[in-house]
Amino acid sequence: MFPFRRFLVEDESMRPTLEPGDYVLVNRWAYRFHSPKRGDLVVVQDPEMPERFLVKRVSDAAGPTQVRLAGDNRIASRDSRAFGPVPIERVVGKVWIRLKR
Amino acid sequence: MSLLYSLARLLDRISPAPIAYAHCDIPCGIYDPHHAQLAAHTVVRMVDLINQLEKPGPSATAEQRQEYTNKLARYITTKEQHSEIAKSEIRILWADYFKPDHLKTYPELHDTVWKALKTASKARQEINLQAAEELLKATNDIASMFWKTKGLETITTKAPYPTERQTVYPKFK
Repeated sequence: MFPFRRFLVEDESMRPTLEPGDYVLVNRWAYRFHSPKRGDLVVVQDPEMPERFLVKRVSDAAGPTQVRLAGDNRIASRDSRAFGPVPIERVVGKVWIRLKR
Repeated sequence: MSLLYSLARLLDRISPAPIAYAHCDIPCGIYDPHHAQLAAHTVVRMVDLINQLEKPGPSATAEQRQEYTNKLARYITTKEQHSEIAKSEIRILWADYFKPDHLKTYPELHDTVWKALKTASKARQEINLQAAEELLKATNDIASMFWKTKGLETITTKAPYPTERQTVYPKFK
């Protein structure tokens, strides 16, 4: 598996960190040897729609097998406040580079 | 626009990048069960008013009949509208606010909502005080679940309206 995958950002819940139209390069190997840490920017499978991806920030490394996620733009984010903690296996990888629009 | 960004754009033409949603259903998150409760109170009030309305007897004048019909029509119209408002508000909470996580805590949610909608239809169709009061109770039950998901306790007390029925309110800290 090639470690890097790019994603196009849509919607506004990660403002001001990410704007709609930005790209993120995600390192899919980032969590092979250690778990996500609080503050990491990650791409995950949407817990409510598995065919879709979300980009969020880890707000709490809730345990070795799950993380809690939050949007940087708290008022405009559907995140762990709505869908609860997310299992680690749903985490695609860590955002390595942001390409600003 | 950086060179890398342009490169990513170019790559998109060959193989489009999947989308990572920084998602929300419109930046809103503003929900409150009070609208539904208020509409239910209005329905109760309209049934009370209809029942209190003096029906014109056989000797009533044309003017008295007209006045009666006018008032009745107004009460019924309002009852129709507010039953529908109650239904709409309940649907919004159900479809947009409540999440699968909430359902684990309140497995009765679907059933409560379903019955509430049915009761609202009944209250709309008939002049039925029991249905109106059941609708109010259903909106109270939903309000009680709603506020608990927000981490707030609730109190049940007499509403400060002419209906004076028991109503669930959040206890803000």
